[in-house]
Amino acid sequence: MNTLSIALKELKRETRNRWTLVFMLAFPIVLMLILGTALSNAFGGTAQVGDIRVLVRDSGENPALTEAFGVFAKETSGMGLSFEPLPTEMDGRSEVEKGHYDEFVELGSHGMSLYLSGRNAIQSNVVQGMMAAFAEQYNAILAIEKNAPGKAAATMAAGSVKTRDYIKETSIMADRQPGSLDYYALAMTSMIALWSSISASRLISGEIRQGTGTRLAASPVGKGEIFAGKVLGNLVINMLCVLILILFSKYAFQAYWGEHLAAVLAVLGSEVVMGVSLGLAVSYVLKDAATQGLLMILTQVASFFGGAYFPMGADEDLGVIGYAANLSPIRWANVAITRIIYNDQVSVMWPVVALNLSIAVALLAAAAWMMRRKEGL
Amino acid sequence: MNVLEIHGLTKKFGDFIAVDNMSLSVKEGEIFGFLGSNGAGKSTTIHLVASLLRPTSGEIRILDQDILKHSRFAKMNLGIVPQDLAIYQDMTAYENVKFFAGLYGLRGAELKDRAEEALRFVGLEDKAKSFPKNFSGGMKRRLNIACAIAHRPKLIIMDEPTVGIDPQSRNYILTSVRKLNEMGCTIIYTSHYMEEVEEICSRIAIIDHGKIIADGTKEQLIATITDVKEVRIELKQQGEVFLELIRTIPGVRSLTAKEEEIRIYSDLSVDNLSGILKRLIDGGAVIRSVEEQEPNLETVFLTLTGRNLRD
Repeated sequence: MNTLSIALKELKRETRNRWTLVFMLAFPIVLMLILGTALSNAFGGTAQVGDIRVLVRDSGENPALTEAFGVFAKETSGMGLSFEPLPTEMDGRSEVEKGHYDEFVELGSHGMSLYLSGRNAIQSNVVQGMMAAFAEQYNAILAIEKNAPGKAAATMAAGSVKTRDYIKETSIMADRQPGSLDYYALAMTSMIALWSSISASRLISGEIRQGTGTRLAASPVGKGEIFAGKVLGNLVINMLCVLILILFSKYAFQAYWGEHLAAVLAVLGSEVVMGVSLGLAVSYVLKDAATQGLLMILTQVASFFGGAYFPMGADEDLGVIGYAANLSPIRWANVAITRIIYNDQVSVMWPVVALNLSIAVALLAAAAWMMRRKEGL
Repeated sequence: MNVLEIHGLTKKFGDFIAVDNMSLSVKEGEIFGFLGSNGAGKSTTIHLVASLLRPTSGEIRILDQDILKHSRFAKMNLGIVPQDLAIYQDMTAYENVKFFAGLYGLRGAELKDRAEEALRFVGLEDKAKSFPKNFSGGMKRRLNIACAIAHRPKLIIMDEPTVGIDPQSRNYILTSVRKLNEMGCTIIYTSHYMEEVEEICSRIAIIDHGKIIADGTKEQLIATITDVKEVRIELKQQGEVFLELIRTIPGVRSLTAKEEEIRIYSDLSVDNLSGILKRLIDGGAVIRSVEEQEPNLETVFLTLTGRNLRD
C-alpha cells in the first residue's frame, strides 16, 4: 500500500513538473516535425518509370517467332510497354542512342536480340526481365512441339506454361517503407524511452536534496517499499510519455506504427525499464552533478549512434559506425520495431526485450544493494 | 516513564567519534532541550534516535522498545521536524500532510481528518490548497511541523524549528510546542536561540564533543556554576582587539567579544575587575559601561564548553 502511495505521489509530482512536459513530450514532438520535414528527401520514395517505347525490327525469317512475339506484344500492351515496328529507313540502334526510343529488339532467323539504352536502369531491367521471360516461354513451347507435336496448345491451356506472368518481382524490401515522419516518430519515441534514465537518476537524490528523504527514512516504511514505489511511479510516468508520443505522432503526423502495437510497446517498455534502472544505478555510484553529466553524455551518444538524429535503415550496412550503433539501446529498439512494423516480424521483439530486461535486472539489483548498504536513503 | 532512553551510545565516522558513549533519558511529558554548538554531536544523536543513522554501539529505546529490534514500533511513535524543510514544494499543504501521514498507516476518512487537524493546529487550514512555494518562511516551517504531527506521535524531535523566520511565526511555533506538550507529546527541542530553550524547556542537556556534559532543569544547571561571575564591558571600539590584553589576568576563565561588547567569565572568589579595567584603558580602550550579570543558561554553556552556543 505504501509502495502505491509513493508511486502515486511520484506520478502527481511529475505531471505537475513542466520540465517533464518540455523534455519528454514537447522536445521530441518538435524534433519529429523538424527532422521529419527537413530530411524527407533522405527516404526512398517510389520511382516513376513511365511508358516504355521499344522499337522492333522483324526480318520475317522466323514466322513462329514473329507470331509468338505478336501475341506477347499484344498481351503486354496494357502494361505501359509499347512495341513499335522499325520503319525501313531507320537504324534501330541509332534511334535508341538518340533517345527517340527506350530499347531496341531484333527478331531474325537466329532468334531474338535485345539492345538496351541503359539510360534508365529500372526501365532497361523491366524490359530485359520481360524479354527473358518471353524467351524462356517461347523455348519451352518449341521444346514441347518438338517432342510432342501438336501438344503445345493443350499444354499451355492446362496452365503448365504460363504465358501471361512475364515478370514477377519478389523483393526483400517490404511493400511499405518508412517515410521520414514514420522514421523520426519511432526514433524520437525510442530516444525518449532511454531518456527515462535522467529522471530516474533524481529519484532518490532528489528526495535527499529537498530534505524529504529524512522524513521518508524516519517513517515506518521500509527502504524496499520506498525504492519500489519510486521506481514504479517513474516507470509509469515514462511509459505514459512514450504512449502519448506514439498516439500523438500517429494521429497528428499520421506516422505509421503498424499492426502490432502491443509488440512495439513491449520493446519500448523494456527500454524504459532499462533506462530507469540505469539512471538509478548511476545515481548511487556518482554524485548528483556527475550523474546528470554522465547520463546526458550516454543518452546523447546512444541517440546519435542509435539513429535518432540522422536516418539509419534497419538493414543498412553502416560500416564502422555500425559497431558503435550496435551498442546503442536506441538502435536495438529501432531495428526491432522497424521489423515488427514493416516486415510483420513480431518475434524479433523477444531478443531485445530479453536483453533490456536482463540489463535492467542487473542494474536494479546493484542499485538496491547500494541502497541497503547506505545509511538513511 | 521514560519515552526515550539512550545507553552507551557511540557513533563513529571513520576515526572521528561524533557521539561518545552517551547515556540519557527523556521522561514522558517533558520538553527536553538539547544544547550544543555546531559539531558537538547534537544532530548525529537526533539522526540516531530517528533511525536515520545506525549506531556503532550502544542502545536506544523508545517507549521501552529497542529501536533496532522494534524499528516499526519506534518509528510509529516518533515525529521528526528536521532542521531543513522536508516538504514537497509542488504538492499543496494538504497533499503534503496527507502523504506523510499516510505512510503511518492512516487511511480514508481518518487520514483526511488527521491531515486537516494538523493543518488547523499550525494555523494553515485556509492555505490547505496552496503550494508551499508560495508560502513565507514561517508558513513553511509550520507546514514542516504539521507533517510531523498528523500521525499523533508520542515523541516529537524538533531540530531548530525556528531557524530563519520572523518573530511572529517564531512565537506561533513556540506556542504550538507548548500546546503539543499539553496534549501529551514529549518533545526534544534543539535551538541556537538560548532564550527559546530557557523559555519552553523543562529539562536541558548540554552536549559537547559527543558527550552529555550537563543535564537538568534550568535552575539546576545555573546552580552548578556558583563559582563563576560574568562581567559585560561595553567599549567605544570593537572588543575583539582587546581580548588578548586581559586573557592572562588572574581569575579570568573565558572571554568572548561581540562587536563593541566584551564578556568576561571569572572566578567568583577573585576580585579582578579593577585590574581588567586598568589593562583595557592602558591598551587604549574607551569604556562606555560596565555591568555585572547574574548567571544564566548562556553563562552555564560558555563556562562548560568554553564556546558560545552559536560558535
